[in-house]
Amino acid sequence: MKIYAYGVIDSNEKIDETIRGLNGAPLFNVPYRDIGIVVSDLNAQIQKEDKTSVLKHEEVVEMLMDKFTVLPMRFSTLFSGKEHISLMMKNYYDDFIGNLDRLREKIEFGVKTIWPGDLIRERITAAHRKSDNLPLVASSSGKSFMNEKFENYKIDKEFEEEADRCIAVVDGFFNRYVSEKRLEKLKTDNLLLSAAYLVDKEKSDDFKKAFEELRSSGGDLKYLLSGPWPAYNFITLSRSMDGKFGGPDLIKTILQHKDPK
Amino acid sequence: MNKTIETDSLEIFANEMEKVKDALPKKIEANPENAEKGLAKLVLTLIELIRKLMEKQAMRRVEAGSLTDEEIERVGETLEKLENKMKELKEIFGLKDEELNLNLGTLGDLI
Repeated sequence: MKIYAYGVIDSNEKIDETIRGLNGAPLFNVPYRDIGIVVSDLNAQIQKEDKTSVLKHEEVVEMLMDKFTVLPMRFSTLFSGKEHISLMMKNYYDDFIGNLDRLREKIEFGVKTIWPGDLIRERITAAHRKSDNLPLVASSSGKSFMNEKFENYKIDKEFEEEADRCIAVVDGFFNRYVSEKRLEKLKTDNLLLSAAYLVDKEKSDDFKKAFEELRSSGGDLKYLLSGPWPAYNFITLSRSMDGKFGGPDLIKTILQHKDPK
Repeated sequence: MNKTIETDSLEIFANEMEKVKDALPKKIEANPENAEKGLAKLVLTLIELIRKLMEKQAMRRVEAGSLTDEEIERVGETLEKLENKMKELKEIFGLKDEELNLNLGTLGDLI
């Protein structure tokens, strides 16, 4: 039997035992000094793509969020026994305390932005082909190759510069409401921005209003707001923990299982 | 606290995020049945990373005008040969361009 972990919390006290975890197993808090880690026993194997379990994990973390500050563990984090948990808690206690203090009363929002990247790239490419400002006289195979590569390099560069300009505008709507952010640019040509914002709970409504302003600002960009999430993307550790913490992109799973508002 | 997902374009986002998932192999698949391919994938991923870095550095130097004509020709020939050799190796091991990448967790993708 293994122990499945949901998150580290800022309490060493017993939690409500009526809450159930994966496969209906009861949850319990394993205390260490003034904090604890919420776990449940697990007899079966977890499939990485098991959507029911992913959603259950998220549901438990969200229930914990209502009462505690939570450092959510990544989905499918397992320990082989209580002694391993105690050792981990001892080794990372200072990190956990630092993160719990930093993330107290804070939540995470996700903002994704799609732009017509295919069309923008086509436009930039057409402009380059038209101007034909190649840097080299292609008198050899080596130079022809370099010309082709240089043209692609310039197109990519211009495409990224345009992406940076658009991201700055989108990000500008949220800047004054966030305490930290993680921005990922162009995960695909069309997925301009995947952003995670750390927001004070009391600024949550302001953040949502900023999103509505952005959405109603017109243009041909498309936006998605999700949250509030536990602060998956903002846990920082002084040493690696083999991916036990980190930011799962749960939106796709949620979209497949819930009716979005 | 009530979670919301606000968008006018659910399907478009779902499709785009599906592409992201497909583009990010989480790990090198190495097991007794495909050890050779798994190892080739790892090695070729690292070579591809170095090749792309070299190519980008060469483009920056062309842009800055710091290469002579002869140097550009030599660099061009070298990069072209490297690219062709990589194409051959990918074909031999049945690997596609998008497979030559590694997800480094919180650090993002290798390439």
